[in-house]
Amino acid sequence: MSVVVIEHLARVEGHGGITVELEGDTVANVRFDVFEGARLLETLIRGKSYDEVAPTLSRICSICSAAHTLTSLKATENAFDVHVSPQTELLRELMFRGESIESHALHLFLLAAPDYLDYPSAIAMAADKPAAVLLGLRMKKLGNLIQETIGGRAIHPVNAVPGGFGKPPTVDQLIELRSGLTQGMADSDAAIDVMASLPAADFCHSDTVFAALRSPNLDSYYSGDEIMAVSDGNRAIVHAADYKSLTNEQSLPHSHAKHSNFRGRPFMVGSLARLTVNPRRLTGRLAVAMKRLKFQLPADNPMDNNKAQALELISDVERALEIIEQLLRAGVKDERPVPIHPRAGTGTAITEAPRGMLIHSYTYDAEGRIVSADVITPTALNAASMELHFRRAVEQSADREEGVISKRLQMIARAYDPCISCSVHLLRRR
Amino acid sequence: MSKPTVGIFGLTGCAGDQLAILNCEDQLLDLVALIDVREFLMASSENDTVCPLDIALVEGAVVSEKDAGRLRAIRKRSKAVVALGTCAVWGGVAAMDRGTDRRKLVEEVYGPVGLGYDSIPAQALHEVVKVDLNITGCPIEKDHFLAAIANLLNGNAPQYAQYPVCTECRMLENNCLLVERGEICCGPITAAGCQARCPGLRVACVGCRGPATDFNAPSLIAMLAEKGFDRERTAARLRTFSPVEVAS
Repeated sequence: MSVVVIEHLARVEGHGGITVELEGDTVANVRFDVFEGARLLETLIRGKSYDEVAPTLSRICSICSAAHTLTSLKATENAFDVHVSPQTELLRELMFRGESIESHALHLFLLAAPDYLDYPSAIAMAADKPAAVLLGLRMKKLGNLIQETIGGRAIHPVNAVPGGFGKPPTVDQLIELRSGLTQGMADSDAAIDVMASLPAADFCHSDTVFAALRSPNLDSYYSGDEIMAVSDGNRAIVHAADYKSLTNEQSLPHSHAKHSNFRGRPFMVGSLARLTVNPRRLTGRLAVAMKRLKFQLPADNPMDNNKAQALELISDVERALEIIEQLLRAGVKDERPVPIHPRAGTGTAITEAPRGMLIHSYTYDAEGRIVSADVITPTALNAASMELHFRRAVEQSADREEGVISKRLQMIARAYDPCISCSVHLLRRR
Repeated sequence: MSKPTVGIFGLTGCAGDQLAILNCEDQLLDLVALIDVREFLMASSENDTVCPLDIALVEGAVVSEKDAGRLRAIRKRSKAVVALGTCAVWGGVAAMDRGTDRRKLVEEVYGPVGLGYDSIPAQALHEVVKVDLNITGCPIEKDHFLAAIANLLNGNAPQYAQYPVCTECRMLENNCLLVERGEICCGPITAAGCQARCPGLRVACVGCRGPATDFNAPSLIAMLAEKGFDRERTAARLRTFSPVEVAS
């Protein structure tokens, strides 16, 4: 038996590795090893007051900290039957877009692109391809500017609180964002050029189940409470309250992450899943960009998640601009958060974080203190699907050279844009 | 003169301080031209994991024997170890209730298989090795990081504020959330340096930068008790980002 081991996966967030065991030409075993330390925040949060929950659970992950914060707030507000203002809804959606722009730009240009061009890092790539790296940094900065303006800070936002915002942005701040986003429109087209110029990554094909939040108005990361799973043209819906049917309860010795499946099959979440579930978004500039990227749905190549992220850079910038126009038209009100009246109960929220579906579900006591908390992250949902695609890539590789296989496995892992700090926070065992 | 060799490491945490470095979009390429980054796993797949380092930048807390071993190895090969962020400096959120039975918590989250996991009570870097410079914050402020690098390159030690957020907040003439609105604000005991970001947005300080050097916790607890807040719960809130018993 031979073994391919990637000890410590580079250019991803957190600590993980890959192990593939081969018996002759047959793949015997595939593992996505997660050895991120356990912080046990789900238990440490118990007894905390509702206003402490988002700032604490945001610390699960920096890259998705806006999504964790806003999903946490929504779960809490659902538990207390709090309805926030339309302005708050718009500002939160805008924060999601800012985070998505930052996260996708970081991932595509600083973490994933170097693979395609055989550089060990974006820093090394910058010596030969400065324009691509500078473009990535510029888009990343734009995403951060949105997060700083609306959320008060780029990492672990502080301004979003139960019921709304501490202080909504001013008209002048929104006008400044608008001019940044106007440049972002051109940059998101340039991003498609860069992605289209990369060599094809064609070494893993697989039937895949995709799952994403079904957005009622086709283009929201924050509204909606139905998960849609799509595979081979078949569609199925899981309601937010039944989210536990997507996760099994098995902990594995090799990983601090638990594995999920949909009707017995692994599923993929993230940009590619969002476009697959909500394909009617793919019009206008997106349709043109799809052609340039030679991107088609349904996709059978997990590497297409990188192309899907590039497409989302376009829609994120467009949507952010629309939201700002809408806010400016309506006039930004210096409103205070909606008052919160805690009560005993359970609240669940499902949103689309940059790397896929994110679920927070809390049970509170009558005083508004946490009795139990479940957090299910996109990387945890993706773990089983990643292993499936690792297996397919090895099976489909005519080249048995370890270096080739190792590089392909790493590229697939990075295409999932895993957030390994996130992945260790899962459904609490009951 | 040869460039100083630098390693950037993450123990257990959210990677927010490494991300804060990558968020220096305007300075990043100039910065990496001034130093020789030998190891930065989050950003590079080519790493020298044994070479001597002039500066090791380490974020995250020590929550496993594996973390402790990595940290000792980093210390051994580095002239200066810099703790980046509240987890590295104080222990952070994973250390909030250090007294609780760790094995019980692990079993509760992961089931019986969890008992086989390598898990120890969360510790700050200085509890395991000697640390030469602490840059606190959750995450660190980009300016503090850039100032630290500029100082270290010139052989100086950067200076950070010793006073609490409360002082910064008053200088900015924000309305006091604690006195005027009766909210639990950790500003009076939390290390300044964030320009009182949260109170400036009418949001109470949660203490994410860890304790200030000079503060008066008993007086804060007494003031909050006067306003009807339970002592024990106030103390628990003050411990969220740091296990240091500020409330006794």
